[in-house]
Amino acid sequence: MIAYSSQKVKEGKIVKVEAQFDNVITKLKISGDFFLHPEEVLDDIEKTMLDLKRDVSFETLVLKIQNIIKNYDAQMIGISPESLALVIRETLK
Amino acid sequence: MKWRVIGLETHDAYFNMALDEAISESVRVGSSPPTIRFYNWEPNAVSIGYFQGIRDEVNLEVCRELGVDCIRRWTGGGAVYHDFDGEITYSVIAPAGTFPKNIIESYGIICGWLVKGLESLGIEAEFRPVNDILVKGKKISGSAQTRRGGILLQHGTLLYGLDLKTMFSVLNVSRQKITDKMIKSAEERVTCISEHSDASKEEVYEALVNAFTEGKDYEFGASSIDENKRARELSQEKYRSDEWMYLR
Repeated sequence: MIAYSSQKVKEGKIVKVEAQFDNVITKLKISGDFFLHPEEVLDDIEKTMLDLKRDVSFETLVLKIQNIIKNYDAQMIGISPESLALVIRETLK
Repeated sequence: MKWRVIGLETHDAYFNMALDEAISESVRVGSSPPTIRFYNWEPNAVSIGYFQGIRDEVNLEVCRELGVDCIRRWTGGGAVYHDFDGEITYSVIAPAGTFPKNIIESYGIICGWLVKGLESLGIEAEFRPVNDILVKGKKISGSAQTRRGGILLQHGTLLYGLDLKTMFSVLNVSRQKITDKMIKSAEERVTCISEHSDASKEEVYEALVNAFTEGKDYEFGASSIDENKRARELSQEKYRSDEWMYLR
């Protein structure tokens, strides 16, 4: 199944998520007009989501994103781990 | 620290973005000084942010019909229509340590130069974080920044005139039909210099140069032979490639 969500998140930017999944996530693409420094971090966030169960909790998604942000000392602007997790969770409904 | 200022040039979208990257590389290895450049886009072009999907944001068919180039930027942010007559674009490329680590603060410094330039034209403007400059509550300038390999690159546009109809025809604005209501709504949110001043584009450019160089040691210069060569490579091999264009 392929699903798509798009939201203007509370931090102000648009986040779009396209996910392919059955019981687990097999593909996830995040796009939007936000800023993330360094930019390559987004590839890691997408990869981390693969093989997670479709009903993965919001809290787990937030934690995974936060860990990557911390590891890279990355800065998100116009989005946050929570708002990104929210759009991913919405897409997996 | 001595800055190089590259005066107003006109290039196509691919060379413009490639030159920003080529200069970033040369500043990184110390073969060029920190650089401020001003430029136009010809043909007109749409640039999308690094994280955007080109099919989502751009009406590629209309772009082809109108001869408008499409390009993915190296920086995040949103889609922008670059009209040759309607804007001036700037880039600031310098070691990241020249600016605060906090990204919003660094936007504030560079956008502050634009605000000063506008003020010198009699236009009262304000920086609105993250990356906008507003005049009477309407957006007149947007910027985008990246930091790679210890180099800060910020580029942005200052709107001189508005061609909203073309802008909406090349951008997929929420996939809505282009209506008078929609254009009216955009007119309430976006403005340009010609709505506030009789200054010519040349006078606006001069005001920007003065504001960007105020208090700095600088000299006018050109991009080097090596930078131009590298920019031509990047233009062909990266920015014009489908792999880059359809990255997301």
